Amino acid sequence: MIVISHLVKYHGALRVLDGVSLQVRPGEVAALVGPSGSGKSTLLRCINGLESFHSGEIRFGEHLKLVGGEMPSQATLLLLRRRVGMVFQQFHLFPHMSVLKNVMSGPVYALGRSADEAEATARQWLDRVGLTDKLHARPAQLSGGQQQRVAIARALAVNPAAILFDEPTSALDPKMSAEVMRVIDDLADDPQVQVAMVIVTHDVAAVKAIADVVHVLRQGKVIFSGPAQEAFAPGGPASAGA
Amino acid sequence: MKFQWLLTNLLLLAISSPGLTQEKKELRWGTDPVGGGPYVYKDEQGRFVGFEVELAEYLARELGRTSKMVTGDWDKLPELLDKAPGESGIDIVLNGYELRADLQKQYPATRPYYIYRLALIIHKDHAATFTGWGDLMRRKPDGTPHTVGVLGGSVAHEYMQSRAFRDTIDLKINPDVATVMGLVEQKRLDATVQDTPAARFYVRRSRTLMVADEPRKSGFYVILTRPGDHELREQLNQAITKGIRTGALKAIYEKYGVWNEDQERLLHWAEHTEWPPPLESSAEESVEEAAPDVWQLFGELLSAAGMTVFLSFTSFPIAMILGMIVALGRVYGAWYIRFPCSVYVEFLRGTPLLLQLYFVYYLLPKLIPGLDFTPVQAGIVGLAINYSAYEAENYRAGLLAIPRGQMEAALALGMSPWTALRVVIIPQAFRIVLPPVTNDFIALFKDTSVCSVILITELTRKYNELYNFNREYVIELAFLTAGLYLLMSYPLALVAQFLEKRLSRSGGESR
Repeated sequence: MIVISHLVKYHGALRVLDGVSLQVRPGEVAALVGPSGSGKSTLLRCINGLESFHSGEIRFGEHLKLVGGEMPSQATLLLLRRRVGMVFQQFHLFPHMSVLKNVMSGPVYALGRSADEAEATARQWLDRVGLTDKLHARPAQLSGGQQQRVAIARALAVNPAAILFDEPTSALDPKMSAEVMRVIDDLADDPQVQVAMVIVTHDVAAVKAIADVVHVLRQGKVIFSGPAQEAFAPGGPASAGA
Repeated sequence: MKFQWLLTNLLLLAISSPGLTQEKKELRWGTDPVGGGPYVYKDEQGRFVGFEVELAEYLARELGRTSKMVTGDWDKLPELLDKAPGESGIDIVLNGYELRADLQKQYPATRPYYIYRLALIIHKDHAATFTGWGDLMRRKPDGTPHTVGVLGGSVAHEYMQSRAFRDTIDLKINPDVATVMGLVEQKRLDATVQDTPAARFYVRRSRTLMVADEPRKSGFYVILTRPGDHELREQLNQAITKGIRTGALKAIYEKYGVWNEDQERLLHWAEHTEWPPPLESSAEESVEEAAPDVWQLFGELLSAAGMTVFLSFTSFPIAMILGMIVALGRVYGAWYIRFPCSVYVEFLRGTPLLLQLYFVYYLLPKLIPGLDFTPVQAGIVGLAINYSAYEAENYRAGLLAIPRGQMEAALALGMSPWTALRVVIIPQAFRIVLPPVTNDFIALFKDTSVCSVILITELTRKYNELYNFNREYVIELAFLTAGLYLLMSYPLALVAQFLEKRLSRSGGESR
């Protein structure tokens, strides 16, 4: 369970996150929605320890936490990132590695698994995202949608408790976007994949289809937390006119 | 008004009067002041003095000219005679040049103005075990050869290369007498062989140096001229003969402490009917050695190229590792790491490699007693440190070219920052910097030639040596040397091209 309490972050004088509090339960699919600049991506980066914050705290289970204004230790960051994966808008696959090596990189270099074990895991996840025929391709040889599916497999291969998706489809055309969302949807529906997901996206249809809970951010504040139907209901906090 | 009129008339007079505008013709004499005393050196007031300075002035006076000193590298002074006597050219070479058969063919010499011998100079502490020339013909008790420094291209150099010493001494070549003497004083060389004037000059001024054994192998200092300058040569010969007869030369030599009984024979040689004497080599007592053919010389060049390859292949990997550490410090380090790394790069890029090699080899042992690098060790260290600054900048550019997202993606997977660098960032940066790094490696091959200042005989140094004693093969030697450099660098360029092609297939993330 991820518990975020009273998170405040500044970019210069701008209060990007203004006392954000929310929870992500195990296996839950949470969507962060809101207008551009409302702090959604920044919040994800704070959760993953890629950015520091000024006050508040983020708890991961019982023993692990990030505290605002304090520099987390390297050990804390490593533990945290092995439990919370991240998928980026621009994929950020490693261009000098094959698809298979990209997915193996987490188990081998972060978890210290043997190459054989890591390869078995990587093949399993690449099969799951429908890319068994691209094992030895380089990222540059794949379409955007395929690259993002590799990135998802790479994040899953370290067996995280949660994955943060930072606008995973916004760099893709509608067809590829649908392809990626279908993969995320499948994972969300799979009872064997016990991983919580936090998705930042502008894709309302996708949110409605997969999100258990929607958090609406505006000007750095969470103004609503609840089911998608309510969030996107006419006159609701995330409706087109809101 | 009256003053202006006077000034104008004076100016007109100056322009129209040949007596006032045409100065005496110069006698442009080539010398290398680095050679030092007692030939040409600076006194306490910073003026050039020395027995050759006064000799040049004497000769110029006798020829009705003014003495004009033109400086150049000692072993390249004869080539200045090939240039037109203008701004850069010279009329004569007057700088302890010995009469040598090979030089005589290209640049006819005057009658001798001095008779020198070769003196063996050692440290006083070695006097008990190192008694003279005979010791140079045997290895040291521990089986190692004696390290002996000589001036490159000199007769001492030629003599010490002779068969008698071939396996018993390790010859160290340097263009600077003072440096070689300093190394004997520091006991970093076992001995040096120098002409008697230089030997006496330095031994007199040193507490630790001494001349071992009797000087041997006398020879002549002569003035080199252009082949076509018969008249000048004749005038110089007459002036030298007159100077010997009148005692003018003796007065100069006594003033600088270089007069000795050998000089009594100068008059004989000045008036000898046959000049130059029919000698195979320069000396009064010649050492017979068969002239090498060009393939023998090629063999010597090839073995010197081995040293060039060795220096390059040992120093460059160190430079790459150091450069990467400095680049990582500059890109990812805190300010207290970035700052010294920046200073390191700017200092090394902003000072010449030559100076850095001097520092590592000559000055560091004085600053840190016990840190006594051999020339090859100092060469490797100096080259590695110098090139590490350039490599650091290459890698920094490569690291900065990797999108930030790559590091974030690696960290987000749970890799430590160091693992992320090692597995994700550095391999990608390396692909980017491969072309400039290859260029630097090729440049390093050529920069190894600077190591000759710290007594290392690599390809360029060997070329210079061979060129000095085999001027008939000057074109062949130049082509062979250039060919060897090409043979060493071109395969590297091919390897780099191959690697670039191979690595480019793996693509890269756009920023």
